[in-house]
Amino acid sequence: MRLRLLITSLILTVGVANADAQVTISGGPSWLGGHPIGTSTAELRTNAPGAEPPPFTLFTLDSRIAPSVAGEVRVGVEITSRLSVEGGAAFGRRRVPFSITGDVEAGSQELEGESLQHYVFDAGLAWQLVRPRGTRLRMFVLGGAGYLRQLHQDRTLVESGQVYYAGAGAKYWLWHRPDSSRSLGVRGDVRLNVRRHGIDFKDTVRLFPSVSLFLFLAL
Amino acid sequence: MTRLVAIAAMVVAASAARPPAQAYLKLGALLNGTVVDVTWREPVPYFVSELGAGSASAADLRGAVARAAATWAAVESAQVQFAFQGMTTALPEVIDGRTTIGFLDRPDLDQVLGATSFMIDTSTGAIIEADVFLNSRFLWSVAPAGVPGRADLESVALHELGHLLGLSHSAVGETERTSGGNRRVTASGAVMFPIAMSAGTIAERVLHPDDIAGISDLYPTAAALSETGAIVGRVTKNGQGVLGVHVVAFSPETGVLIGTFTLNMEGEFVIARLPAGPYVLRVEPLDDADPESFFSAPIDVDFGVTYAPRMVVAPAGGSSRSIEIRVSAR
Repeated sequence: MRLRLLITSLILTVGVANADAQVTISGGPSWLGGHPIGTSTAELRTNAPGAEPPPFTLFTLDSRIAPSVAGEVRVGVEITSRLSVEGGAAFGRRRVPFSITGDVEAGSQELEGESLQHYVFDAGLAWQLVRPRGTRLRMFVLGGAGYLRQLHQDRTLVESGQVYYAGAGAKYWLWHRPDSSRSLGVRGDVRLNVRRHGIDFKDTVRLFPSVSLFLFLAL
Repeated sequence: MTRLVAIAAMVVAASAARPPAQAYLKLGALLNGTVVDVTWREPVPYFVSELGAGSASAADLRGAVARAAATWAAVESAQVQFAFQGMTTALPEVIDGRTTIGFLDRPDLDQVLGATSFMIDTSTGAIIEADVFLNSRFLWSVAPAGVPGRADLESVALHELGHLLGLSHSAVGETERTSGGNRRVTASGAVMFPIAMSAGTIAERVLHPDDIAGISDLYPTAAALSETGAIVGRVTKNGQGVLGVHVVAFSPETGVLIGTFTLNMEGEFVIARLPAGPYVLRVEPLDDADPESFFSAPIDVDFGVTYAPRMVVAPAGGSSRSIEIRVSAR
């Protein structure tokens, strides 16, 4: 709810502050890095004296979210010539393989796991660095926060959480219409994401990188 | 009405043959061709026999049974109630319309700590009478910390009251063969495991998730019906269903282990009352207790431990899509 309010207030602020603000729409693939989601041990109660005998390990499970590619669309609105506010939506399928070790009756094994549907809706700010004269390249840094929604296979269970990110990137203009502000280009960025909640056996904060390569259209 | 005798025995070693259970976690009765759960339709009215054992008095037994009954009644996701009716001179295993829990001297059952028998209404599956006997041949203890060499009365009462409520045996546990050819429990994942821990242990005074899922399946609260889910599937070997396979669901998020069996020739299984979430499924042959303590039909144990290739989600208030788990001969 807080995040929704943040996004809404940012959009309203932009709308009030700068009715002629340039809008940039970008979209393309994002590579999402993998990360562990925890180790869990299946334990039984040992046949030993006392009210709390030591556990007996039946097997240990390790699982992770594998790297994957997501599709992402972003809309940016210029607040000043250097600062813009962005909102984005990303969707991808993320594989969750797992491995079994230490089974008292079986060898170690790697298993296919399941496939998650992964959605992120985010809002953030991008700060454009000074564009060197005569170049088509402009660097920027960005940061923001998003709502994470993950649907397990068969779409029978939803896990939600938050993603916070910070990163840097560059825009490269391919075409610019002389008599207007319309332009077309490519944009790449690298982000470090901090994920809180979502599918996780230990409900711990996890870090993962992402790399995006988009086409953008400035209106 | 039909009397079902000694479905539920807790033994110190599984070398003695016993009558088979009729279903996995639950006892069942065949009504008009359909197996239905055997349950109480009222708070369980029980008497405690005044006959003590050499190592424990009737008062000790009354106290241990009261504590065990309170443990079952405390399961939040189940509606279980007991109503103590008083002490009685009657003995268990006598058909008298009263549910009686008491000691009996059964030298012929030298491996059996206790057993439960039932009288059910064959038109509804309702339990009318159930008697629990505890074998006074054994040395018993009610000491809070247990006594080495003595069976813990509360732990065994907890197991037998599970049967009295309609639960059958669970196979969530590990055993090893002793030099004498019997089985010794190395670890347990259910109070309803058919073989008792070593004399002197008291850890089985506390229910496991497997026991809680079982009792919640028999006597679910409204919240349990809406907040838990089921995993359904099939175990096959060379394309054919396998009967009597032990299937255990493990939640990596909570650590709970809840088991069931494939219960027909198609190899189908259902694990009900699972807290909603993803589970890893582990399939194993029924080789940690005598198969005949669970099934009357011969079952296949010639396959190794196998995991389902993917995690399966138990959805709140619903069932998973069926998953097939293929096992191979060793």
